[in-house]
Amino acid sequence: MSDKKYQITIGIETHVQLKTKTKLFSEVDNDARGKEPNSCVSPVDYALPGMLPRLNEDAVKLAIRAGSAMNAKINSRSRFDRKHYFYPDSPKGYQITQFFSPIIGEGSITLPSGKKIRIEHAHLEGDAGKLSHFDSYSLVDLNRVDTPLLEIVSMPDISSAEEARDYCKELWRNMVYAGVTNGDLYNGNMRFDVNISLKKPEDKALGTRAEIKNLNSFRSVERAVEYEYSRQSKLLDNGEKVIQETRGWSDATGKTTSQRSKENAQDYRYMPEPDLAPLNLSEDFIKTEYEKCPELPEDYRKRFKNSVSSDTIEIILDYPELARRLAEVEENNSNEDTVNYIANLFSSVLLAEENSSLLNDPLPDALKLSELAEMKAKNELSSTSAKEVFLKMFEEKHLGKSARILAKELNLIQENDSSALEKIVETVLLNPSTKKAQEDYRSGQEKVLGFLVGQVMKESKGKANPSAVSEILKKKLK
Amino acid sequence: MNISEKEIDHLAELSNLSLEKDEKKALEKDLQNIFKYISKLNELDTENVEPTYQVFEMENVWRKDEILPQDADREALLALSKEQEDNQIKVPKVL
Repeated sequence: MSDKKYQITIGIETHVQLKTKTKLFSEVDNDARGKEPNSCVSPVDYALPGMLPRLNEDAVKLAIRAGSAMNAKINSRSRFDRKHYFYPDSPKGYQITQFFSPIIGEGSITLPSGKKIRIEHAHLEGDAGKLSHFDSYSLVDLNRVDTPLLEIVSMPDISSAEEARDYCKELWRNMVYAGVTNGDLYNGNMRFDVNISLKKPEDKALGTRAEIKNLNSFRSVERAVEYEYSRQSKLLDNGEKVIQETRGWSDATGKTTSQRSKENAQDYRYMPEPDLAPLNLSEDFIKTEYEKCPELPEDYRKRFKNSVSSDTIEIILDYPELARRLAEVEENNSNEDTVNYIANLFSSVLLAEENSSLLNDPLPDALKLSELAEMKAKNELSSTSAKEVFLKMFEEKHLGKSARILAKELNLIQENDSSALEKIVETVLLNPSTKKAQEDYRSGQEKVLGFLVGQVMKESKGKANPSAVSEILKKKLK
Repeated sequence: MNISEKEIDHLAELSNLSLEKDEKKALEKDLQNIFKYISKLNELDTENVEPTYQVFEMENVWRKDEILPQDADREALLALSKEQEDNQIKVPKVL
């Protein structure tokens, strides 16, 4: 977005599915992954006559913890309201939400760049069912009805496509680290509605906004904002008006399209939900939940600031289990090089494309990792061997073994003992096949040293420390 | 305040109801009466009264997050809908 003709103003509403065992208002399974349609449903979800919602205590607790992850004020008093709309995804004919008094007040999310995006509020509500559309009919699956959602509403503090992406990603990280959601974007655990408007820099008032609904990846958030910038700026360039409307995004076409159905459909007739008692949370209750929030990305950034490069930290932060394991390594051993070495093993070996399946396996524990880093630091393992040992640690048959035992078994411990190394070097130099190389080296062709080191490595079955070998060779060939 | 035909149409549309002319007329009259009856409350002075959201004065009514067996199973619940297909409720095409 090099074109700076218009300033872009973005606010984002995020729906976070909370990972409670049961739904927000009924005692049925909230985890419908891999389950048949309509198998996680109760008469309450069907809104049968006389059925009453019963609030899930843990949803309230997770909301508070999410609030803690956004450094937000928790409102001791909050209550529920009905938002009416008529659609087959909601048998009740209304959604239970918190329109007038939300549970979470002002907070903020700090982006990796250091910029603070303010949170206006966040409220609890029930999700809607899932519709599948066919040629002449639609099918309704109510498994998702009243899955607890926390809707997090940002202030319009975001001012570029990149920032919109960063905000969504950082919010996702915070929610996942806080342990309030599974954070599975592919399955819609977090969904983003992005409000975008443009204005000339000299204008005081904001422009008319369009809302792009239901984005489910950071990349599509970024692309949708870029597309909207070009769409809206073209309209404004031509003296036309941006219409306030809801638009949908297609990853396939890379475009947003209008989803306006009826001009006057947006009349939700909010009213207090008479079937649910208001919340009046004690200070103790709030404090207990607030403090349950574990270390967050920002805490890890501070923790690893002196040992790991910020690029590597950002890569690792996308994987909470890696950040936590790295923190354990740090607690085991305060040596910054060890932490840095393990961080690099994570980012460049474990997260390499070809090893991606390992992420589903349990990570080696911190003790093993620290030992591995120390062996590498003492040159007992070459960097190639250390990587090999690291990868083998994931194999089931090696699970119980320490780094040293495993390295020994794999015959990878490097020979550093100089008298032993000298013997191997001598053997190689006595071999007639190296005679020419020796002469070449003596006559000034220094690059043949590499060949000789290679021969020694081969003789040692890869166990010699190549830099030590190189030093010994140089001495011998003087 | 009078309830106009336009408002009846609006409410009907929000509730996805299609009404005949005489039904609209009847509803207009009914709603008018209900509205008049409720409007009596406006005669009260509520200047310094906190709004009431529910009448039981209960707070923090919640349950443990535990899965419990339900009175009705999937088949019984699906059977309540007019049409089903593949264990889902079949409805006229929306979207």
